[in-house]
Order: sequence, then structure tokens, then C-alpha cells
Amino acid sequence: MRRVVVAVVLCLFAGACGGGTGGTANSGEGTPKSGGTLTYAQESELRTLDPVASTQLVERTVFYQMYESLVTIDDKLNIKPGLATAWTTSSDGLTVTFTLRKSVKFHDGTDFDAAAAKSNFDRIASAAVSPRKSELASLASTEVKDPQTLVMHLKKPDATLLAQLVDRAGMMLSPAAVQKAGANLGLAPVGAGTGPFMFVEWKRDDHLTLKKNPSYWGKPAYLDQITYKPIVNDDARATGLKTGDFDMIRVAAGKDIAGLKADSNLTFKDVPSLAFGGIELYHGGGAFADKAKAQAVALALDRAQVLKNVFFDVGVVAHGPIPPGSWAFDASEKIYDKADAAKAKSTATGFSFTLKVTNNPDSIQEGQLIKDQLAKAGITANIQTEEFGAILTDTEGGKFEAALVGWSGRIDPDGNMYSWFHTGGGNNQGAYSNPQVDKLLEDARTTSDQAKRKQLYDQAQSLLVQDAAYVFINHPVAMQASRATLHGYVLYPDNMPRLATVWKS
Amino acid sequence: MLRSRPRIVFAAGLLLLLALTSLLAPLVAGHDPITTDPDHALLGPGPGHWFGTDELGRDLFARVLWGGRVSLPVAFVAVGVGLLVGGVTGLVAGYRGRATDLLLMRVIDAILAFPALILAVAIVSALGPDLRNAMIAIGVVQVPVYARLTRAQVLQIKGLDFVAAARALGASPLRLVARHMLPNLLNPLIVQVSLSAAFAILAEATLSFLGLGAQPPTPDWGSMINDGSRFLSNGDWWLAIAPGLAICLAVFGFNWLGDALRDALDPRLRG
Amino acid sequence: MLSYLGRRLALMVPVAFLVSVAVFLLVHLTPGDPAAIILGEEGSPDTIAALHRELGLDQPLPTQYGIWLSRVVRGDLGRSLRTHQPVTEAITERLPATMELGLAALVWSLAVAIPLGALAALRRGSVLDLLASSFTVAGVSVPNFFIGILLILVMGLLLRLFPVGGFTPLAVDPLQNLRHLLLPALTLGTAGAAINMRFTRSSMIEVLSQDYIRTARAKGAPWLRVVRSHALKNALIPVVTIVGIQVGSIIEGALVTETVFSWPGVGKLAVDGIFGRDYPVIQGIVLSAALSYMLANLLVDLAYAYLDPRITYS
Repeated sequence: MRRVVVAVVLCLFAGACGGGTGGTANSGEGTPKSGGTLTYAQESELRTLDPVASTQLVERTVFYQMYESLVTIDDKLNIKPGLATAWTTSSDGLTVTFTLRKSVKFHDGTDFDAAAAKSNFDRIASAAVSPRKSELASLASTEVKDPQTLVMHLKKPDATLLAQLVDRAGMMLSPAAVQKAGANLGLAPVGAGTGPFMFVEWKRDDHLTLKKNPSYWGKPAYLDQITYKPIVNDDARATGLKTGDFDMIRVAAGKDIAGLKADSNLTFKDVPSLAFGGIELYHGGGAFADKAKAQAVALALDRAQVLKNVFFDVGVVAHGPIPPGSWAFDASEKIYDKADAAKAKSTATGFSFTLKVTNNPDSIQEGQLIKDQLAKAGITANIQTEEFGAILTDTEGGKFEAALVGWSGRIDPDGNMYSWFHTGGGNNQGAYSNPQVDKLLEDARTTSDQAKRKQLYDQAQSLLVQDAAYVFINHPVAMQASRATLHGYVLYPDNMPRLATVWKS
Repeated sequence: MLRSRPRIVFAAGLLLLLALTSLLAPLVAGHDPITTDPDHALLGPGPGHWFGTDELGRDLFARVLWGGRVSLPVAFVAVGVGLLVGGVTGLVAGYRGRATDLLLMRVIDAILAFPALILAVAIVSALGPDLRNAMIAIGVVQVPVYARLTRAQVLQIKGLDFVAAARALGASPLRLVARHMLPNLLNPLIVQVSLSAAFAILAEATLSFLGLGAQPPTPDWGSMINDGSRFLSNGDWWLAIAPGLAICLAVFGFNWLGDALRDALDPRLRG
Repeated sequence: MLSYLGRRLALMVPVAFLVSVAVFLLVHLTPGDPAAIILGEEGSPDTIAALHRELGLDQPLPTQYGIWLSRVVRGDLGRSLRTHQPVTEAITERLPATMELGLAALVWSLAVAIPLGALAALRRGSVLDLLASSFTVAGVSVPNFFIGILLILVMGLLLRLFPVGGFTPLAVDPLQNLRHLLLPALTLGTAGAAINMRFTRSSMIEVLSQDYIRTARAKGAPWLRVVRSHALKNALIPVVTIVGIQVGSIIEGALVTETVFSWPGVGKLAVDGIFGRDYPVIQGIVLSAALSYMLANLLVDLAYAYLDPRITYS
């Protein structure tokens, strides 16, 4: 799990801002050939293959080949039909009616219909513990109108619902397969999905295999097989790619990027991602109950230097929670652009605080660099390294002053703002509270007018950045490095591979 | 015997050099080992930086010298702990005998039941990864060897006539035993301490390499190798190699010294 | 002999008990909440508390120990907190890889140590002897993870001869398996090679000075035959016992070596478990390691007593 934060905070980012948004499918590379196996090296091992229980980013990289959701996105983050072909929202925003795709079968041969869809939402509701619950907090109930129509009844209007349904909350599994697998669903979801690839086997810490689904309802995949391998060591992953042991990797350390780019046997792509990285501050007590101190830290930090030294200039400096790839990005937001030690000193100086850092080399490096930068403004940061899980526990209980923790990002800008900066939000361990920001975020949820929402998010962002609710440092990039023999890969800003279009020459 | 004396001199000289450079690090290093200098990161060995710089621009030569101020004392304290606790345990067990001896020796056996490093790793994981706990863990692992050493000596002396005589006269022979034990103990003890120090440095380096010892930014040989190993594939080899060579030198010095001392002081063990 | 065995076994029982208590306590003192780690980014106070109940982490310690012990004696070492796999199964899955590595390390250490040690004994005082003696000290002075790193640097990165990590099962592709095996085996076996060489040399020297050897030589038997039929066999007795003791250092060395080379054995599982605060995995492996080590020592002592009846045990 720490790999999520690591991946977020460390992610390699192609510097050339020309990375642009999305990579287009390689045209002019010849005709796609069927066949072949793709070996995908992941940065950590998965814990479960059940979307209802899933908490890790690496699990999603497998889900997106096996399972499908009601809706999906294109590489510009626009919501597109998935297993639902059309949907309408009632005028009061409390009812959403989905028309489901016909003639779709699960891998175990059973039909996908509204009853199957409903069973998935029921499973989330009846689960004792599931992160999906808070994602679908606005969902009151689901109703089967007819085999091709599913009706959702909401507690309140929710503009973020569709975005939530793109990911795990909307993934459709075969009720028959779920029942058959029982407690083993997380380890061996045989026949459970509808996607272009189906589950074969999973040998923990060794490999996870998917094979092509020949009866896929859409365009069949080209690859015969995908093998996932958990390779935690950054070096081993990068080296394995160079030697051809692996075909594709999604995360590499900043220091390795230059080498990967220069290798003619490899293709390197990157795209601004949805994530942000920086320092989470606790405002409910300790040093940063005083806003001036938080602002001083934000002023004293030299973000460009951190980006250069720790991330090897991969990615971009972050000025707020909304990354450049999002429609809600505000390019004018630049309060803390350059490090200003003098201004920091005049705002607040001569204090010290503990900065918790994850126990891995890049985070430690970043922490020490920050410590030295703050020292120039008379601020003392005491670095405390901890296991990622321990940091999570401490931040949960408010037992911290500052922690180097980032966020992997969500498709809808609400996902990067509400839970983090709304009073009492699920990720708002910093106990930040600003009623103005609260109102803006709440309003942004209830309207579907994107232009209006952007305005609200611009204002909210401006406020919370000024308050130094969180000290933003960088936006990681979604990247992919693969053997030059792979073609047809489209890189999405949500950092998820979609391998149905990939073929091997 | 003749061949061993020059070895003792050389080994002791090597160790003295290491100890001195570490002690005098603040004067000799030339650079600050902790302050970052990001603009000069990852420079190779050269005139300005004899061992190059690390990923935060810190001078590696300084860090290696300062690392000795961490790794070497930790080893000594650990050996000291083992010697003290083990020595006393062995003394008590041997002197009291019977139930005490049985119980204490089972505890010693329990410690010996674990491969040394595994136990050290388990202890440090339990107490929390920092240098102090690494010292405790390595010390605990050293206890058995000193316990057995002292216990064997005590048992040997306990059976001697003058001890029985003292007891018969109503005196407590404990001081007598201790006084007679010490000269016989001195030789094997010196040898063992030297070899223990070698093990302790290795163990501390391994623990720090696994992230269970010194915490950043404290310069420490083991954690520097861990840190530096990820830059090998970039061709920046000096980060991992320099501290590694330092460890090798220190451990080799103690092993060499211990060997030479053993050859010189204990003719029975000569091979 | 049998009474000796009986006595040893009887003494082992309280020790094994102490070991189990120690292992249990050590792991439970470990800071860091496994529930928080499992839930990761999406954990909240409620979900974490629920997971505590599910995993039985809210019971008092003695109760947890009792439950744990009753399971252990039935061979149930619990389930990994991270992957839910039974620990016993996780260990047995990875045991072949570690044993393959350990065996390869042992083979390499003996293949180098015995001939060189014997040769050094025969050519006492020569340059070869000096080199061999230096190696015996140097070999145990280099941290084995450093040897691993040096090998990675030279063989893997500079010369590109061997892969620097990873694993292919022997059954799947023997050649690839051996390619991946070479560097870690060299790393793990070097310290053992040094130790074995020293013992071969010293016990060989002792044997060679024995009367019956001198008699054979005086009778005109060629050196090689003397060495082969008399000296070597007797010299090897202590070496056999030393090899048994090296089971311990191979277990230790595997921890770090497997981590450095990403070799999927029990050692790597242990290190992963330590960082993931995976209590059952750490407990299970430390306990298994201690028990196997105790067993190995017992077998070594028995072998020694059997091979050399001159040795008496008090």
C-alpha cells in the first residue's frame, strides 16, 4: 500500500511539458498481430482481486483488464458508455436510469443484466467493511426495472456519481461466480468478469495470469496472455525491462527515467496524472494550529529544487490539488511559486516541528532536502521515518504535525478536494476547516454544469492554498515504459493500463 | 608464536588508524556530512570530493568517516553489554550451580536456539528500529558465548582444593574464585572480544542495511550501502562501495587481530 | 547413545517453550498497526477497528498467546495479514527456492574450500597457504550483502553476464534458473567457503602430523594415495560437523541475500513480513528458523558423537 504513496510521490514524470494529454494510439506501426504474452512488472503485490474489498492501486491495474464498469472514460477523462449504453438523470437529480448493454456475457457464461448489476451494488451495501461505501455514499438503493434497465435512487444529487462508477464501485461481477467462489473470491475470481481478459491463476509473490477472452462482446484483445509479476525493487524492475525479462512497467524511480528514455529498445511515454504530492499538515493542534506557521513553510519551500533533486525533473511543480490534466485546472494559481525565505521568515520563524516520512529512500531524500530548505528560513523540521502503515495510523488519530503523504488522485476534481479539505472529510486528517471552502465544495457537487463547477473549484482552491491547508510540492506523472515490440498502448491520466488494444510485434 | 606478533602489530595498527580517523572526523573530514548540497549531487570521486558525493550532494568521504563514529561505538557497546550480562550470568550459574545453573543455562540455550542474525532482527523489529535497540539486540546475541566462557572457568576453579578449604573455613569463596578466575579468563576473553567486535560491526551493518539500525540522516555504513545500492544501475558506484570497504576494513582488522591473538596467547588452539 | 539422545531431547522441551514465548512476545511488541497497513490509503478509524476485531487483535496478550500456541502445535501458523495465505503454506511454497539457494551455496563453499584447504595444508608456509589463510579471514569479514552488491556491479551491470534479480522455477526452465542462481549462491556461500577452508586446512594439518600418516609415507606410499585414503577422510570429520552448524549461517545469510537478489525464498518473505508488520509471517518464520536450527544442532551433535566416540559429553 505504501507503494501507492510512493508511486504518487515518486512517480516519474517526463519533464518535457510537451508530454501533453494522453498518448494517441501509435498509427503507422504496422498491422496489429494477434498472439503473445505480455509480462507486466508491478511495484508491489496485490492483496485481493475483489473490487469490493480492494484498497490498492496495483489491484486496479489488474481489474481494468478483467472487470468492466457501467461507465468508462476516454483518454481525455470524458465519461463514456461501458456496460451501460445510456443514462438519464431526473430533473431533481435523485434518480439515475441506466440502459444496459445487450448480449454481454460474464466469463462463466452467465448473462449480464440488471439483476446482475443490482447484485453488485447490494454486495457493497451488505459488506461489513468496504471503501466503496463512502464512494457511493449518495446511493440509497438500486432497482431492476427490466433486464436491460437499472434505476438508481440517490439520497441527494451527486455530480460525482458517474466518475465513481468508472472505477471499482461500478465494476460488474457475475453473481454466480461470486457465490461459487465464496470466501476465495479475492484470491481466485474464476469467471467473474466481463472484460477482454479473464482470470487464469494467481500465485502470490510470484505471478498472476490472465488470458484472452475469446467471446468478448467488443473488439477482442490481441494478446493471448498477460502475466503480472510483483517486483518491489525499483532497480530490479527497470533492469528487468532493459534486459527483456519484463515487457512493461508503470513505475520507475526518477533516477532511472533518463536511462529508460535513452534506450532504443524501449518506448517511454508519460502524461500528467491526477495525483498530487506534498506535506500534510495538522491544523488541530501543535505547530500548525497557527496558520502563519503553515504559510511560512509553504513560502520557504523550494519546489523546483525538490523536483530536480528527488524526482530528476520528472513531473511538474504543484500549486494546488487539481493537476494540469484535469478540466478544473487553474493555471493562474501560483501563490507559492518561488521559494521566498525572506517572506517566510517575516511570516513566522524560529519554530520546529516533526515531519513524518515514509521509510523508503526517495521519501527520506525528499524529507532531508525539505529540512535543509526550511532551515534557511529559520524553521527546524525534525525528520521521523516510519513504516507507511504507521504513518497512516498516526495521521488517522491526529497524532502528527506534518507528514509527507500524497494522493493518487481521482478522475473527478471532487475526488481531489472534498474528502481532503471539507470539514470532517474522509481524508481530511489535517483537520482543516474553512466554512467558505465547505460551501463551495458542496455546491460543486450538486450541479452538473462543468463551467460552473470549475468556477467553484477555482475559488475553493484559491482559499485553501492561501490558508496553506496542505503544502503542495509536485504533481507526479502517469508513465509507462515498455519494450519497443509493444504497440497500441494508450496512456490515460488516471495511470491505469488498458491492455486490450496492445499487440506485440 | 613468532609469526603471530607482526600480525598483531599490523592488525592493531589498522584498527587504531580507523579509530583515530573516526574520532578526529570533525577535523579531518573537510566537509559537513549532513548538510545537503543538491546542486552537487552524485558527483564521482575527484579532487574536491575524494569519495564523490551522494544523492543530496553530501561529501561521501566525510560521511564514511563520520559513519565510523556511529558503527564502531555501537559495536563496542554491544560487545560490552554481551560481556557484562553474559559474564555475570555465567559466573552466577557456575557458582550457584544446581537449579540456578539449570535455569540460566536453558535461557542461554534458548538464545542460542536462534540463528544470531534472525534473533537480532526479531528483537530490533520488536523494540523499534533505531541504533539503541540495535545495540541491545546485538548485545543479547553475544551473551551466550561469554556466559559459557565464564561458567566453564568458574566450574573449573570451584573444584580446586583451596576453594573447598576456604569453604570449610567458613569463608565465602566468591571473591577467591573471581580473583583466580580472572587471569585465566583474560586470554580467551581478549581473543573473544576482538572476534565479537568483528561480528558486532557486521551485524550492525546488516541491521542498518535492512533499515533496522541507524535512521537517516545519521551517516552509518550499513544504511549508506542500502541507500547507495539503488544508484548502481545508474553507474554511480561510489555511493555503495565506499562504506562497504570501510566495513570490510574494520571487520577484517578485528578478525585478524583476534586470530593473531589466539595464536599467540592460546597454544592449544593453534592450527 | 540413546540415553544421550533422551537427555538432549528432554532439555530441548523447556528451551522450545522459552523460544515460543520469546517469538510471540517479540513480534507483538512491534510498533505499527497491521490493520492500518492492510487498509492502506482507504483506512478509517471504523474500518481499522473492525479489522482489529476480525483479526483478534483486540484480545489480551496471554489469550492471544494461548490461541497461537494451540494452533502452532497443530501445524497452523496462522494466516498472513497481508495476503490471507496460511503462513505454513507460504513458507512451504518458498522453501524449495531457499533450499535450492542454500544447497548451491553449500556446494560452492565445499567445492572451493576442501580442495584449497587441503592443498594449503599440504603446502604449508607457501604463497598458496598465505593466500588461503588471508581468504579465510577476509571471507568472513565482508558483509554478505556487500558481496552481493559487488557481484551485481561487476557481473550483472558492468559485464552483463548474469541477471541481477528474479527467479525462474527449476521445473519451468532449468537454464534460466541456474543463471539466476549463480550470483546469489556465490554471495551466500562465500562466508561458508572461508570457514570451511580454515577447518579443512587445520584439521588436515593435524591429521597429516599423525603417526600413521608418517608411517605410510615412510613406507613409501605416494602423497596422493595417503591423502585420499587416510588423511582426507579423517580430516573431514570436523568439517562435517561444521557444515551442519552452517545451516544457521545459511538461514541468516538467506535473509539478506534473497532480499538483495529478489530471490523468492523464505528469507525474502521474512523481510517483506517485517516491513509489512505481518505478525503471523514473522512469528512463523522466526519460530521455524529457530526450531530447524535446534534440530540441525541436535543432528550435528549426534553425528559427531557417532563418528568420534572419543568425544565424551558431560
